[in-house]
Amino acid sequence: MITLAVFAFFAALALVSAVMVVAQKNAMRSVLYLAFTVLATAGVFLSLQAEYLAAIQVLVYGGGIVVLYIFVIIIVNLKEVRPERRKTFPKLFIVVLPALLLVQIVNVLFTNQATPPAGSETGLAFRTMAEMLFTNYLAPFELASILLLAVLIGAVIIARRRLVNDPD
Amino acid sequence: MIPINAVFGLGLLLFFIGLFGVLFRKNLVIMLMSLELLLNGINVLFAGFSHALRSPRGAIFALFVILMAVSEAAVGFALVLSFFRSKKTYDVDEMNELKG
Repeated sequence: MITLAVFAFFAALALVSAVMVVAQKNAMRSVLYLAFTVLATAGVFLSLQAEYLAAIQVLVYGGGIVVLYIFVIIIVNLKEVRPERRKTFPKLFIVVLPALLLVQIVNVLFTNQATPPAGSETGLAFRTMAEMLFTNYLAPFELASILLLAVLIGAVIIARRRLVNDPD
Repeated sequence: MIPINAVFGLGLLLFFIGLFGVLFRKNLVIMLMSLELLLNGINVLFAGFSHALRSPRGAIFALFVILMAVSEAAVGFALVLSFFRSKKTYDVDEMNELKG
């Protein structure tokens, strides 16, 4: 019961701040609401007994990505707020298409209710996850390190300042 | 015990708020933030089903989704910076030429 209350609290917090991320005009406020959403999602992960995921969420999203966003907003200097106008037809398209998709998915997934299988004990979830990650999923795990190295090099190359008389 | 429908609804709502942000906003940085919301919603779905099915596979997949989100954010911001240096704007409507 208390788990459900914790879940409901963090879910409501995540949803409200997610709406605020999209609705804010000022990008810096938007980033702070994004931080709220990320931390509330970490709370949701905790209530779902995914402790490792919650820790990674706080460390990587809350510590890494949000700070990256703040730095970029400072560099790009998003101070002036420009009104965003669109014509009626694209606006209609943008609103109606996701809404139709949402209705369709909810309809499909709520009509056939699957009963979860009778589970094992819950205390060993972390251990089994770690064992599975380093046995069955070892190859993707190692490939992810190559991806991160490629991202490191690629981001530096894309974002570097090109001089006018650069010999390259 | 958290009902799977509640987790499912939360993940879907986060996903669609993010989708709406990506489609509706014109500010490049806020569009990237909405992209993070999309991935967050998917992660909530993965964690929820992992919990409901008593299998750690969902949590492992969500871990890889987070890794991918980090990579996407880093490269995306490098591109935003590069675009801002050449055009001095962050409006996606200005992205209308192939040769920079």
